[in-house]
Amino acid sequence: MPSPIALNSPSPSLSIFKKKELLSQLTSMPTAASYLSAVQQADTRIRSHDNSSVTSTPSLSRSPSITDSSEDNTLSEDDENDCLAYSLTPSTSEQVFTTVHTEFGHCANETYRCVSKHDYTKPFEEQTIEDPPYYIFLATHISLFILSLLGHMRDFFGKRFAKPYFAHLMPQNGYAPLNTNFDSFYTRRLRGRMTDCLCQPVTGVPGRTIVILDRYSTDNNYTQICTGGKTRALNISSYNYLGFSQGRGGCSDAVKESIRRCGVSTFGTRLESGSSELHVSAEALVARFVGMEDALICSMGFATNSTFIPALAGKGSLIISDELNHASIRIGARQSGAHVRVFKHNDMSSLESLLREVISQGQPKTHRPWKKVLVIVEGLYSMEGTVVNLPKIVELKQIYKFHLYIDEAHSIGALGPHGRGVTDYFNIPPSSIDVLMGTFTKSFGAAGGYIAGTKTLVDGLRLRGHSGPYAEAIAPPVLAQIVASMASIMGVVSAPQPTNSTFSLSPVGSIITPRDSVKEPLGMVPANNLPTWMNLPRALADGSEARMRIRRLAFNSRYLHAGLKKLGFIIYGHSFSPIVPLLIFNPGKLPVFVRMMRAYTPPIVVVVVTYPATSFETARARFCPSAAHTKEDIDTVLRACDEVGGILDLKHGSGERWGIDMVCDRAVELVHSV
Amino acid sequence: MDSSTSVALEPLLSFLAFSLSQIESGFYRIPGSAVVARYVKSSHQNDPGRTILELILVIFAIRTLLQSRTRTDRSGKHFIRFSEKEIDELVDEWVPEPLVQPLSEWEQKDLNSVPVIAGPNGPKPKLLATGKIVTNLASFNFAGLAGNEKVKERALETLQKYGLGSCGPPGFYGTIDVHLDLERDIAEFLGTEASILYSQGFSTISSVIPAFCKRGDIIVADRSVNFAIQKGILISRSTVRWFDHNDLKSLEDTLISVEKDRKKRKGPLTRRFIITEGIFERDGEMVDLPKLVELKLKYKYRLIMDESISFGTMGRTGRGLTELYNVPASQIDMLVGSVANGLCSAGGFCAGSAIVVDHQRINGTSFVFSASMPALLATSGSEAITLLRNNPSVLLNLQDNIRAIRAVLEKTEGITLLGHRASPIIHFCLRTQQQSLSVTQSTYDHEAEERILQDIVDDSVANGVLLTRAKHLRGQEMIESRPTIRIAASAALTRKEVEKAAGVVKASVTRILSKRR
Repeated sequence: MPSPIALNSPSPSLSIFKKKELLSQLTSMPTAASYLSAVQQADTRIRSHDNSSVTSTPSLSRSPSITDSSEDNTLSEDDENDCLAYSLTPSTSEQVFTTVHTEFGHCANETYRCVSKHDYTKPFEEQTIEDPPYYIFLATHISLFILSLLGHMRDFFGKRFAKPYFAHLMPQNGYAPLNTNFDSFYTRRLRGRMTDCLCQPVTGVPGRTIVILDRYSTDNNYTQICTGGKTRALNISSYNYLGFSQGRGGCSDAVKESIRRCGVSTFGTRLESGSSELHVSAEALVARFVGMEDALICSMGFATNSTFIPALAGKGSLIISDELNHASIRIGARQSGAHVRVFKHNDMSSLESLLREVISQGQPKTHRPWKKVLVIVEGLYSMEGTVVNLPKIVELKQIYKFHLYIDEAHSIGALGPHGRGVTDYFNIPPSSIDVLMGTFTKSFGAAGGYIAGTKTLVDGLRLRGHSGPYAEAIAPPVLAQIVASMASIMGVVSAPQPTNSTFSLSPVGSIITPRDSVKEPLGMVPANNLPTWMNLPRALADGSEARMRIRRLAFNSRYLHAGLKKLGFIIYGHSFSPIVPLLIFNPGKLPVFVRMMRAYTPPIVVVVVTYPATSFETARARFCPSAAHTKEDIDTVLRACDEVGGILDLKHGSGERWGIDMVCDRAVELVHSV
Repeated sequence: MDSSTSVALEPLLSFLAFSLSQIESGFYRIPGSAVVARYVKSSHQNDPGRTILELILVIFAIRTLLQSRTRTDRSGKHFIRFSEKEIDELVDEWVPEPLVQPLSEWEQKDLNSVPVIAGPNGPKPKLLATGKIVTNLASFNFAGLAGNEKVKERALETLQKYGLGSCGPPGFYGTIDVHLDLERDIAEFLGTEASILYSQGFSTISSVIPAFCKRGDIIVADRSVNFAIQKGILISRSTVRWFDHNDLKSLEDTLISVEKDRKKRKGPLTRRFIITEGIFERDGEMVDLPKLVELKLKYKYRLIMDESISFGTMGRTGRGLTELYNVPASQIDMLVGSVANGLCSAGGFCAGSAIVVDHQRINGTSFVFSASMPALLATSGSEAITLLRNNPSVLLNLQDNIRAIRAVLEKTEGITLLGHRASPIIHFCLRTQQQSLSVTQSTYDHEAEERILQDIVDDSVANGVLLTRAKHLRGQEMIESRPTIRIAASAALTRKEVEKAAGVVKASVTRILSKRR
């Protein structure tokens, strides 16, 4: 339904490129006390700027927090970006922050927390695909049509009149072109128009904020030239769910120690000579974390899928895959030689009817029964933000006896009250799933991936997966980051603890009954399981900081999701998902959205995705809130979206609408009411 | 999967069909459309055939839209209709195999014998199982950069500034300036226009090949290429012709026959690629690069060469075979190397012209869909290049050590040394009647040979020298190769240490083989 509100003019202040965020923040302060403290904060900041050496003499109001790292100061920041570098609500003397505000935001307000947990009293939150009004749909198709038409015209005339530019697309000296005209059409003519919005090079820690390298183009985006300038921007794009991407802090110290002790590589494959003690202990830790018997670690997240799936299924087996599964799963399935079938995204009835069909029909032509059927789904889908309907799948698994492989690349660490992924979120014993795969890139601020399962399964994969004998082992510093961040989520207990009590690996009965509540602390890690040299600070070791991170992430995700909905945007995905896709539809609006968000004060970097990651018609911006963001940061994003979305006419969602101030003021209510 | 053409055309078809119907219904909402509609109606009266044609078009469009990809099998002639009850019974009766077969006794032994290193790996690591310090002849520490203080220092600095993970794929704010720096360093080092960084060595070439080679293209590849290349070729779906291992005569014959075929079929000009390795991972043979480049130019093929072993080890400063043979690296269209092996860090790269590299930034699946490598591993790679540039003597040491190892082992009874004499990896297998590396007979007993080799490895580890068998996925490789033990030479050891270690290996070989006789 086209909404009349959508065509309203945007905010009264049209000069969005020059707006002083600080001023607006000051005027919008709710109470006199906060106004005063903000003024005081501004004063201290100006004073500290006069003092050229910020690091040596931290000003009083920030004294409890640790000092900024040196490279923050080399970046010449003007006043406009100060709200990124310093907290707007200054910390009091009893609040101690151990993080750098630009990497991990300071937020002491305990009401800005939430617990991510599935409520079994309510039905599963099905993905609702909200359609845009009719004219948007039409405009999207027309603009795609014009884009391709112009592209073909440019190709037609270019090939005749500007041959040098097309040389690489035409046969020359007996070589066929590397890339045909048709194959590269999308890249050159559609994607090419927005290269300045893609593959943006950055520097520094991809934490709460990120420093982007400024670029410009003199040849219509064919090439991008770095100016040498840098801009600090609010980072709502990196997969930094729990905010462990930090240059300072306990995890970083652990990594430092590991570099000093173990170097940067183990010089070989896992099966030949690249296995070290650290690998073994990290794998044990991962197994304990996800609640499986054993786990293996691979040096690349993509390769975890693409090199281990072939070891699970082969000729005579069937892989059933969700239509929106990640490319790595598709490539793994293709390499395996197994038959592959696809079901509709997260649609359990489609899965069930497919299962009934394939099991009754057997293998094509021969009708022999399948050796095995492996269903591969993701825990949290990276472009949609949907959470898999796990309770239903596990129920189907009981009936249809398939094997279940869950890719938790995005959900591990980010979902569930204890950050253990979808099984934790739905409170389903991990042992009812055959293979749990995940990556360390996202929640743990590291790299690589893992596969967890029974000991037989993991040992089999160690020997028969491609990575074992052929791919380099994961590097020790990366392992140290994984161990430190994971142990801090689990919490470290000094006394060794019987292993079998923490996780029940008992076979699952025919009916799935969610565990009522977790009585014992879920999988604390005994100190002797960690490397002896790894000394985590108290807040990390007792798990309190990580608990705070998990709850902050849940709050931020839910707030951003609900806030954008209340502002009138079309949002996909689950309300607890740390992936919040905002639907833009019209391809022409994508680059404008990125540029306007980047020109906002403070600058915000966003990811926009379209074909091939999504369909052409459902182009979208994708936000990834993180535990590192403060409530004020999410406010900033909402304000920016409100303003930019108004100008670009993106607000087409149905349902009740709130004004931006109302959303910001009633954030807590909003989060708990959804 | 369905045929890829229909998959590729589907978005286009559905898009066209969709927009057609959209335009039509949108049209009626435009003021004045009624006039046009009236005109259509009258035209229908004049020529009903046209309306029928249009109607058929619309029906076809709707059918295309509604047709689900997953339903195509249902209409096939092999589809059997069952009642719901029959399906329930079939489901009940079906007994699937376990997901993974338990390990056999030999596999378990194989897994248990994998050495685990306590503390840092390097020329003299400590083994976790025994607590003994051993001399390392197994790890890829060719240039001896393990434990290098400068590399560590650089890594620590980077950590402070960048944190560890990149938290995103290159397209989504995961391209850090240090990645660009390393890419530029590699390109400058090799003398190519540009290079692109992948986050795992193994996944590099298996992603590079399908980025360029598509269905209908021709790949001419060495029969004995490594596993990653085999997987890349498989994914590419191109037409493959194989030539005999490291035999350029056979390559030329193949090239000629391909050309003949094309002329006979009068086929269009397709992309053609030669895929081979610089130094073969499986046996340490070295390719004759000048001859290869000559053939490639003569027959107008593009060359994809995997230098995973030779980059960082061969040539005066480790630029690889191009430096050794003095061939400009720009002659190799896609030069793939390993940062993990050659630069003692992690990841891999592909160097080539700017067009080749840019193409991969959008089409290299494991580049696009995977997180970029941690910043500190990238700077470690850059630091390694600086070290290689500044200390060419390191690689002279490496060559000395290679010669020393070969000298000792050549005189050993019962084994055959494989590969080129300058190769930093030295394979040896048991000397039997069969001398060819590839084994085709089904009667051949791999496992027995592997057991003997494993005994040699275990014995030499017990005597203080870390060795490893070259591990392969048996049954999954295109060609089963003879089981071998692979020694990796390192510049970090002195000549004396190397000779001593090789002596231990020799003694182990003699001991185990004499026990068996």
